[in-house]
Amino acid sequence: MLPEEIPLLSVVELANHIEKKEITPIETVRAYLSRIEKLDPQLNAYITVLADEAEQAAKIAGQEILNGNYRGPLHGVPVAVKDQIHSEGIRTTDASQIRTEFIPNEDATVLANLKAAGAILLGKLNMSEFALGDPISSAFGPAHNPWDVDRSPGTSSTGSGAATAGFLCATSLGEDTGGSIRGPAANCGLVGLRPTWGRVSRYGVDGACWSIDTIGPISRTVADCAITIGAIAGFDPKDKYTRQISVPDYYAGLTKDITGLKIGVVKELMDTNTMGTDPVVIAAINAALEVFAGLGAEIQEISLPLTKHTGAVVRTITHTERVSLHPEWLRERPQEFHHNTRVAFMAANLIPAQVYYKAQKLRAVVRDQVLNAFKEVDLLIQPTSSGPAGLMDLEPGVRSLEQAKKALVEGGFRGLYSLSGAPALSIPCGFTSERGTDLPLAMQIAGRHFEEATVLRAAYAYEQATTWHSRRPSIE
Amino acid sequence: MAPLSNEQVRALGYAVNLNIEEPDLTEVTHSINAILDSMDAINLPEANLVEPIPILLPAMED
Repeated sequence: MLPEEIPLLSVVELANHIEKKEITPIETVRAYLSRIEKLDPQLNAYITVLADEAEQAAKIAGQEILNGNYRGPLHGVPVAVKDQIHSEGIRTTDASQIRTEFIPNEDATVLANLKAAGAILLGKLNMSEFALGDPISSAFGPAHNPWDVDRSPGTSSTGSGAATAGFLCATSLGEDTGGSIRGPAANCGLVGLRPTWGRVSRYGVDGACWSIDTIGPISRTVADCAITIGAIAGFDPKDKYTRQISVPDYYAGLTKDITGLKIGVVKELMDTNTMGTDPVVIAAINAALEVFAGLGAEIQEISLPLTKHTGAVVRTITHTERVSLHPEWLRERPQEFHHNTRVAFMAANLIPAQVYYKAQKLRAVVRDQVLNAFKEVDLLIQPTSSGPAGLMDLEPGVRSLEQAKKALVEGGFRGLYSLSGAPALSIPCGFTSERGTDLPLAMQIAGRHFEEATVLRAAYAYEQATTWHSRRPSIE
Repeated sequence: MAPLSNEQVRALGYAVNLNIEEPDLTEVTHSINAILDSMDAINLPEANLVEPIPILLPAMED
């Protein structure tokens, strides 16, 4: 195998070669570093590339494997994480000028878990400043979508989407509050899993919103996603809200039959007039439902009437909580924020307490509606976004009230599961062509709390029955 | 609900120790009005009857 072909392997394929000692971790890391050097100037997916550290870790991993101490499918595999996740001795910036000098003295639990599984940290990934969900607000410049560099890679885990889709890491971690894993996965044609709130430790991850934040994988295939979530999930005494329940072998469970699974399609998101869903997205979801029916699943329509409001509810809660973490920064160092972040934070500071409280009550109602739906069906399916990745507007600013409201409506595509805490996975379900460029479309598959295994199993069955995951962006 | 004016938003800023001036002021006004309008449009009587328990407590049920 040529070195430049190594990054094109999935985690499963790469692990197979590494375990058989056909490819070494150091060859793998060098192949990835070479690709990063070649392509990251276009994608800007990385804030910090850890070339020396990764080579050193790869040498150690290689020796361990030679000595017969193979740890599993992430051993020697290069990964990268959103720069919101603390890394011992390595700056963790939140993509903000305010945090460029912050060097944690401890790894976040998710990163420590990846390293314990043998993964090699290639670097820290670009993101929206403070994970606020703006594609251009990074102090290091925006990341770009490998399918079309003029388009958004999705927010706020911008670099996690761009690097994974660009084959600049084998798998990655993002953080999802209002959709920051699922959005980049959708825009970049990837598999992204927002786990159940409480399934994965948040310890050592800079918070956006304490009661909604989750950390999860953005990967190129469902199997890679299953391996990655398997490495980071589980109880952590450092995060008291993680659950003390066993973590299934997600990868081993992928091939189980889905015959008889009951799937509900969220009616409100399949209507162009209600949420502005692009007809090509609706057609792709309908085609996916036919695939599921062909695999033996039972399909029915489910109505979740508050869906269209969830974007506003999520924004009200998350922005209020986010800005409360370091209010002194906005008062004392306002010009160090990106313009769009500063405007969003200032607006968040003005949200009346009664509006925030109303949002919390609505969250309880939305949660009840979602959990009631799961009494009827095993899974819910819906579009991840209204359409394919949009062109990035590189000019900062909120130009009108209508523009601000439109952003809230778009947030409603991912709000149900942010508010209910249920696991939700985004997976490619088709392509559309714009300006001569093929762009991925995506659907979400959501399940009951802590039933990530069922979500992954259904996603894997769909993936194996289709070919969308085999398409690659043409960037070279 | 009538949208807030720039002057009203500036005054609200003073209340939370923020000095909001142009070029930010008009954009902050758009942003807060979008949130307030969108939240005001949700009229759900049953929402007044629920207890807004943070998500962690119900999720701890087995």
